[in-house]
Amino acid sequence: MKRSSFAFPYGLWMLMFTVVPIFLIFYYAFTFMGEFTLENFQMFLEPEFLGILGHSLYLAALCTALCLLVGYPAALFLAGRDFKRSHIIVVLFVIPMWMNFLLRTYAWMTLLEDTGIINRFLEWIGIGRKKLMYTESAVLMGMVYNFLPFMVFPVYSVLAKSDYRLIEAANDLGANGAVTFWRVTLPLSVPGIVSGVTMVFMPAVTTFVIPRLLGGGTFMMFGDLIENQFLTVGDWNFGSALSLIMMALILVSIGILNRFDPDGQAEGSGVL
Amino acid sequence: MVEDLRLIELVGVSKEFDGCEAVSNMNLYIRKKEFVTLLGPSGCGKTTTLRMIGGFETPTRGQILFGGQDITNVPPYRRRVNTVFQKYALFPHLNVFDNVAFGLTIAKVPKADIRRRVEAMLEMVGLKGFEKRGIDALSGGQQQRVAIARALVNEPEVLLLDEPLGALDQRLRKDMQLELKKMQQRLGITFLYVTHDQEEALTMSDTIVIMKGGHIQQIGKPKAIYDEPANAFVADFIGESNILDGVMERDCLVRFAGHEFTCVDGGFGANAPVDVVVRPEDVLLGEVGEGMLRGTVRSVLFKGVHWRMMVQTGDTLWKVDSTQMLPEGSAVGVSIVPDGIHIMHKMEEAAKE
Amino acid sequence: MKTFKKLYLAAVLIFLYAPIAVLIVYSFNASETRAVWGGFSLKWYGELLHDESILQALYVTVSVAALATLAATVLGTLAAVGIHSMKAGMRAVFMNITNLPMLMPDIVTGISLMILFLFARVPRGYGTMLMAHITFDTPYVIFSVLPRLKRMDKNLYEAALDLGCPPAQALKKVILPQIMPGVVTGALLSFTMSLDDFAISYFTSVRTQNLSMLIYSMTRRKVPPTINALSTVMFLTVLALLLLITGRSNKADKAATK
Repeated sequence: MKRSSFAFPYGLWMLMFTVVPIFLIFYYAFTFMGEFTLENFQMFLEPEFLGILGHSLYLAALCTALCLLVGYPAALFLAGRDFKRSHIIVVLFVIPMWMNFLLRTYAWMTLLEDTGIINRFLEWIGIGRKKLMYTESAVLMGMVYNFLPFMVFPVYSVLAKSDYRLIEAANDLGANGAVTFWRVTLPLSVPGIVSGVTMVFMPAVTTFVIPRLLGGGTFMMFGDLIENQFLTVGDWNFGSALSLIMMALILVSIGILNRFDPDGQAEGSGVL
Repeated sequence: MVEDLRLIELVGVSKEFDGCEAVSNMNLYIRKKEFVTLLGPSGCGKTTTLRMIGGFETPTRGQILFGGQDITNVPPYRRRVNTVFQKYALFPHLNVFDNVAFGLTIAKVPKADIRRRVEAMLEMVGLKGFEKRGIDALSGGQQQRVAIARALVNEPEVLLLDEPLGALDQRLRKDMQLELKKMQQRLGITFLYVTHDQEEALTMSDTIVIMKGGHIQQIGKPKAIYDEPANAFVADFIGESNILDGVMERDCLVRFAGHEFTCVDGGFGANAPVDVVVRPEDVLLGEVGEGMLRGTVRSVLFKGVHWRMMVQTGDTLWKVDSTQMLPEGSAVGVSIVPDGIHIMHKMEEAAKE
Repeated sequence: MKTFKKLYLAAVLIFLYAPIAVLIVYSFNASETRAVWGGFSLKWYGELLHDESILQALYVTVSVAALATLAATVLGTLAAVGIHSMKAGMRAVFMNITNLPMLMPDIVTGISLMILFLFARVPRGYGTMLMAHITFDTPYVIFSVLPRLKRMDKNLYEAALDLGCPPAQALKKVILPQIMPGVVTGALLSFTMSLDDFAISYFTSVRTQNLSMLIYSMTRRKVPPTINALSTVMFLTVLALLLLITGRSNKADKAATK
């Protein structure tokens, strides 16, 4: 018996539970009542659905940008010399990531609700209650909160691995702090940024739990729309078409992002 | 010493990898208690040959016989040979004792016997007291010894060694060469040794097999190969040589470096182009006017026992080794005795044969 | 500068921990409504122990995670050994199949499996959830084990054969001890992924709920305070698990640098 045959049970399993299901999605996306059609995709071109996609992309992009803005300095400082020894701080950043996703999102509900801590604080300092729950900002907040570690880790692991002597060399060659950052540190961290952006953008654009819980159904995102087609409307054909569009979107964005990565392979994705 | 019994025999063995022939139509036998070295540059097929004898590769064509029996398709774990791998391949999760005991444990040898044999073997390789050490805590030389002990403790009829000294530094290498040779003589085991280091091969072997591009170039005793290389490749690979283009005027008369020389070879036919090989120590320097050629010393290098001088005669630059130093720039007479001139077929033609 | 860095990191950590801290504090609040602090109490922990639906969901979550981990570890380790010894073409096919579930958004994986089960008329419950978990766990095991195999000296296996081990025994005695750290990491990863999963379970099971699904359904009605107690317990569990993993990898790192 050849050793490569050890992989066959797994191959069979994955054929059954990954390849066949994807084919089923393809089948439903391109048919209606068993007939071949492109109608399911044409339906998507209606302004209502394009609007939902646009809004999802916009929110996901905004979330990614915020995560980069907040997360990059954090990763930079963590990887810097001041904190290199303190492994514990790095672990502190991991822990919330492993907390149940639903609970993390639920926690924000308790903070943002009308009688929640934030509103009571606002009341106490005299600003008065604001409507925080069930708004776009609440959804954005929840996404940034949930996905921030996905940005910090890839960037951190790339920067922590890079040779500190490179920075010393840059200083030695006459570059000051800012120049060193722009010319050495930032380019070195590109693979980390690429993988961080991928890891934040992907779940952000596909999530349906966060808009449900924190948006309260006041507006729909792409993930909601898909879930809705299958579980509420019952239109598998349109739902499958939407799923394919989402997958295509993700594959294309990964493809584009990887072009920015000089090594061709995003680093640090292992922390997931 | 070496018994005239063919222990291993390769009959018309070829090995192809993805249509590329690594070993081609190889015929070779190894006698009992013989120390045989497969020598050649990387990619010559020597390691593939060893791996076929070990059972890690199956020949595409041909047969491998062991004591007269066909073992071509016998898996490695049923062959009475053991291997010392290039980077030792010691089991990192086991300590020294358990590494050496591995084969005996698999063979279900009684515990007490295992202990006795492993300890005797460790003592022989000079690692007594290292039983409990982890592999990572050993130096390269010590790991080497464990690898040898692990193979020899199984009392194989043949020990295969794949560039076993390649990872050691120069000094350690020399010591280990002598030790390995002594071990082989004491235990009376057949050694099949693979190396690309010609000096190592000359020092240790009873028989050297020189390979290139999957073909055997020459088989012989070290001295015979050094003195009478079969072709220019062998001459160049074994020791250093001056290799020159020549033309055979007739038997025992060859023309090269702009001069006619008497030699001892013949049978090439008149006006046949040949390779002429002259060892650096066979080029003799004398006063100007002596010898067949006159030249100038271009550079001098002290090599320990002798000097290496580069001497120019006409267009030819000779490597010359001598215990007598002549200063740079001095004019000399150059002579070569007939015995020092080795005539060979042109290399391209030799390869076709 | 160093103070600024410290303050910045502290601010980010506060952002990450504040919601969790609030949940933990509320879990000790005697009052039913979050608006009022009714004094310290452990009563929600007591109620948690008697809440049938939560206990049932907990049982489902842990048992699915354990079974899926077991299956994924066996399947994935064998697969990794197989893939490692494959020729380039075949290996590329297997690696692409392995990458697929990692690239697919959870919601699409969940939906595609849901379609499969509906299509095959398999009632969606405990069994289908387990199958789905095995499917998304196994690639994690493969990706943890493969680097170990790649780093392993390929002569080790041959050395075992050379010393008289038949292939199956060589696998057990030599290869398995070498890749064990990768197998354990893969298993721990699988277990945590399974514990945490919502989207895939949500689509592949209707009759049986795991904790994530239960919390989801609760947040859409009135959330009972027991959920705060549950959050605290789960947070501490994950904390313990994580410390175990980092402890292991630290030890492995130290062993490697020796």
